[in-house]
Amino acid sequence: MIRRLFTSRESILLYVFAAMFIAFSVKVEGFFDWFSLLEISRYWVVVGMLAVPMTFIIATSGIDLSVGSIVAMSGIILGLLYSDAQVPIVVACLAAILAGALAGAFNGGVSSYLGIPPLVVTLATMALFRGLAFGLSQARSVSDFPDAFLWLSQGDAFQIPTGAGGSAYFPVPLFALATVIAVGWFLMRHSWVGRFTECLGENETAAHFAAIPVRRLKLGLYTACGAVCGIASIFNTALYSTAKADAATGMELEAIACVVVGGTRISGGRGSVLGTLLGLLIIGILRYGLKMAGMRSQHVVIIVGALLIVTAVLNERMASSGRHAWGEAK
Amino acid sequence: MTNKSMACLILTALVIAGVSCGPSEPPAGDAQDAQSEAGKKLKIGVMPKLIGIDFFNATEVGARKAGEELGVEVDFDGPVESKVDLQVEMIETWIAKKYDAIAVAPNAPDAIAPVLKKARKRGISVITWDADALPEARDFFVNQCTSASVAKTLMDVMVEGAGADAKYLILTGSLTAANQNIWMEEMEKYRAQAYPNLTNLSKTPKASGEDQALATQVMADCLKAYPGLQGVFAITSVALPGAAEALRKAGAADRVFLTGLATPKMMKEYVDDGTVDRFVLWNPVDLGYLAVYAAVANVRGEVEPGATAFNAGHLGELKVVGSEIILGDPTIFDKSNIDQFDF
Repeated sequence: MIRRLFTSRESILLYVFAAMFIAFSVKVEGFFDWFSLLEISRYWVVVGMLAVPMTFIIATSGIDLSVGSIVAMSGIILGLLYSDAQVPIVVACLAAILAGALAGAFNGGVSSYLGIPPLVVTLATMALFRGLAFGLSQARSVSDFPDAFLWLSQGDAFQIPTGAGGSAYFPVPLFALATVIAVGWFLMRHSWVGRFTECLGENETAAHFAAIPVRRLKLGLYTACGAVCGIASIFNTALYSTAKADAATGMELEAIACVVVGGTRISGGRGSVLGTLLGLLIIGILRYGLKMAGMRSQHVVIIVGALLIVTAVLNERMASSGRHAWGEAK
Repeated sequence: MTNKSMACLILTALVIAGVSCGPSEPPAGDAQDAQSEAGKKLKIGVMPKLIGIDFFNATEVGARKAGEELGVEVDFDGPVESKVDLQVEMIETWIAKKYDAIAVAPNAPDAIAPVLKKARKRGISVITWDADALPEARDFFVNQCTSASVAKTLMDVMVEGAGADAKYLILTGSLTAANQNIWMEEMEKYRAQAYPNLTNLSKTPKASGEDQALATQVMADCLKAYPGLQGVFAITSVALPGAAEALRKAGAADRVFLTGLATPKMMKEYVDDGTVDRFVLWNPVDLGYLAVYAAVANVRGEVEPGATAFNAGHLGELKVVGSEIILGDPTIFDKSNIDQFDF
């Protein structure tokens, strides 16, 4: 038990995060400021949401490259329904989630029932859904959303006094992110979904013979992933007050990066939602801290890329050298 | 176990390395001697649509020059792709750094608005330049030039080159491009009023779809199809060099006068060999320079809403219309000045 505190993957990530946080706070002027830290966290919500179902999918040794495009497509559907079809905003949001789920079901159905690798399927749908977003919107953007809708991403839940007369505000969208993470964590650690998912990622044939409904499970995971993309599209649209076809471009890679840094192996078998959360925090804080330290954008991209390569290599090495310890760490 | 401690160590080392190499890079473009100046040095964040392209590199030169003249610190940075999401997140960092003013060239007018409003609420001056945001999200918009002045300059150049009764054609990008369509409308308005004898041979402009090779093709076809053709406007930075290539191949530069909008770097070879005599574009160095001047003046309270004129260093007195500061007429580039511009 004590050993776990020092050696489990999550605690190592937590130490890395803490070390970074302290280093930035000491060395970078203006970094340690609750107001700014909470404000910047609004921009982690959408990526964080996508990273949770991505953890499951990568744990099955699959991948979903279309999540960013689904966010854009669902966002456009939300925007067009609200502004052009004059549908109530709540209904438009539900439609966005439904559209996301359908898109996810398409990914899952084609990859599991037609037996096409998810990398190929979602690479194709990445272009397809993005294309639909551009086609539906005719490349124009939709804005003029009601304030109550924008509050979802831009609103403040409560005020936090930070001393010296200053105050910070707790962002509303963090509650939504926390909910998605909590549900993901529960499913991964305390339900059959997580057990089946990891078993499937470890060895698909074995999982099949262990009477795990492999194809239905995959279909379900990709559909759920699409639905979460639909939810994320609501928050993404509210964050920028705009629904546009080029929203969330490249966000699939950011979400995958969080999962990889969080210790889920790209070859499948073990998924950790808490690890993914820590991956999100580490990448977010690293990017923010480096920018605050005055580093130019090109250099920040290089450092984050280096972090990814290092963690990916370490993940593989650690997993192959200490499979037993990994099991224990769960 | 040792493997894991190693991992922990390496990751931390990487991070510390990242952190410690951050501040060692000097804050971009400040005059080093300004420390001695009385009072606090203003910090101005200037953000292009993206970094690493000639046009915005040229605006950076101007912005830094203005920063030196005014004794303020200029941080010129932007996203590596022209994505508004990246701009928004970066501006959030600038708010945290408590910059005194932010001058941004937004990639999307409405998506940038919430974060700009937030900046203004925190007491930061907000200027837009190159492209505007929603008007309520910024204090001033630095407009490179009005569409009317672009149209007027183009027409004047044509009349000087081909005469007031020339027959001309227009080569545009795509038929739906908003900027180009407004310019063509303004050109037609100005033509009807100032040069009624100038004739447009085709009311529908020739489209070349932002594709340089296609522009060459279209221009070559036009030279054959319109034997009486005396002048051509190519009004995108891709169409003009493409058209120039066709004109050079056809050896028709002495009977057809070609002009339009493009960057000097792309046009240099055609100006040098005489295919194109002169062409038009706003000057990005001046645009960056003015953006910083406007931002500083706004922080210092030197330009208030309702002002009609604004004094911007070597640019002199500029016009202010509503909450727009107008850089003025576009620049005409020809053999005499093309070598001074590196964009």
